[in-house]
Amino acid sequence: MFDAIRDVVRKSSIHVCIVNCGGCNGCDVECVALLSPRYDLEQFGIYVHNNPREADVLLLTGAVTEQWKDNLKRIYDKAPEPKIAVAVGNCPISGDVFAQEGGHVNAPASNFIPVAAEIPGCPPRPSEILEAILAVGPQAIADRGREQQ
Amino acid sequence: MIVPIGPIHPALKEPIRLKLQTEGERVVKAEIEYGYVHRGIEKIIEGKTWQKGIYLSERVCGICSYEHTQTFAETIEQISDVDVPVRAQFLRVIANELDRIQSHLLGNSTFFKSMDHETLFMHVLELREYAMDSIELLTGNRVNMGWNVVGGVRMDADERHFNKILKNLDIIEEGFERTRQLFAEGPALALRCKGIGVMTKKEAIKGRAVGPIGRASGITKDFRNGHYTYDDYFDFKVITRTEGDNYARTLTRFDEIPESISILRQAIENIPKGEVRTPVDLKSGYAMRQNEAPRGEVTYMIETNGSLIKNISIRTPSIANMDSCARYMIRDVPTVADAVATYATSDPCVACAERVAITNEAGITSIKKFDEVI
Repeated sequence: MFDAIRDVVRKSSIHVCIVNCGGCNGCDVECVALLSPRYDLEQFGIYVHNNPREADVLLLTGAVTEQWKDNLKRIYDKAPEPKIAVAVGNCPISGDVFAQEGGHVNAPASNFIPVAAEIPGCPPRPSEILEAILAVGPQAIADRGREQQ
Repeated sequence: MIVPIGPIHPALKEPIRLKLQTEGERVVKAEIEYGYVHRGIEKIIEGKTWQKGIYLSERVCGICSYEHTQTFAETIEQISDVDVPVRAQFLRVIANELDRIQSHLLGNSTFFKSMDHETLFMHVLELREYAMDSIELLTGNRVNMGWNVVGGVRMDADERHFNKILKNLDIIEEGFERTRQLFAEGPALALRCKGIGVMTKKEAIKGRAVGPIGRASGITKDFRNGHYTYDDYFDFKVITRTEGDNYARTLTRFDEIPESISILRQAIENIPKGEVRTPVDLKSGYAMRQNEAPRGEVTYMIETNGSLIKNISIRTPSIANMDSCARYMIRDVPTVADAVATYATSDPCVACAERVAITNEAGITSIKKFDEVI
């Protein structure tokens, strides 16, 4: 009974933190566009805080650069359980164009932290990002919450 | 006491660390630590063809991605001695000004967000979506447009596109008037903006501030003056102010938007018929070009050996603006909250700024200070 109530609450309020671990900024801009009245993220109960300490969903953008190799895990550990990480754009999935000779990137991000969902695109459209958060976010968070117990 | 802000912080879009030295609430000194998004783009481009280079140059920065490709293409055209068809030049101007409108609106909305003024933040972001729609209609993509190729633009546009863009411009202009008035004449906002984060003209020159940030302090340089298309076909006014505070910087960005809209209307009205792309016979050589990106001058220095790029060096506006922000604007602001707002008015784009990384023997990566690079 208590679990059921907690699941309902968790599903309807998702706090998001955008973690740019070394991208071109394009995906972050599309995440900011999600806040605009046209997409209106908050009507789905999603709040963008950019504060890892109260985040349920970490939106990862960017190929993992040298400075982020250790810091990414530290940021992930700071977020309270249950939490999931969603990779936005090609960079955290494969490194995109930066993963070639001369580039200083350590993609994919799943080498460092568990990634629950991936949204390819360079950058993906805001509607795609929104759809992905809504598709995996609530259920994954509730599942993970039960695992933790 | 030193207050560290970032790299992940509610007020920041991108990873960067601000170290604020405070005395009580007053900030006396600020330092910026770079290095979180260094990807090594210049090194990757070396030894590649221009087709690959222009794709990578677009990913230097996601917000002003357009101007990077245009400058890259124009540098290669200058090396190869090619004249771009006039219709392609006009199409470049249309994409450029649309990009400028969306970038300025985003910059201002970030500033309003950092001041916790949600109403204006939402108003400005709503207007920005119409500019993004126009960009998508014209080029097919919202952010990384891939619009420029060496010798022209990728494809042609016709009346249907232009009519829709004109309609979107009307919407932007209508909403913009009200939004600007809300900011310029709002008493509470003005209290928090006027006289905060002042950078004088002398300091702006010393800190090499460029773009709207420099023009808010009285620098009159705009690299659109001196660009062949703008010089030959377009009339526009360079917006300058003299106060150099947060209010002036935000209003400079706001006031450049009607100028961009007027340039767009001129371009759509006078666009000539003809080719949009000309075949290019690549030559070897070296060239440097400067263009006005939304944040200031973008410089590309490219050396080619005919087919491949031997060496490329990119200078972006953000590094100069962020550095002069840390040195002169934040130096004496009354509170930490104002320091964050001041940082947001310098329209920082960290992804642009990361050019040089030094790895020492222990494998610790650090970024060179601005003075050492210059």
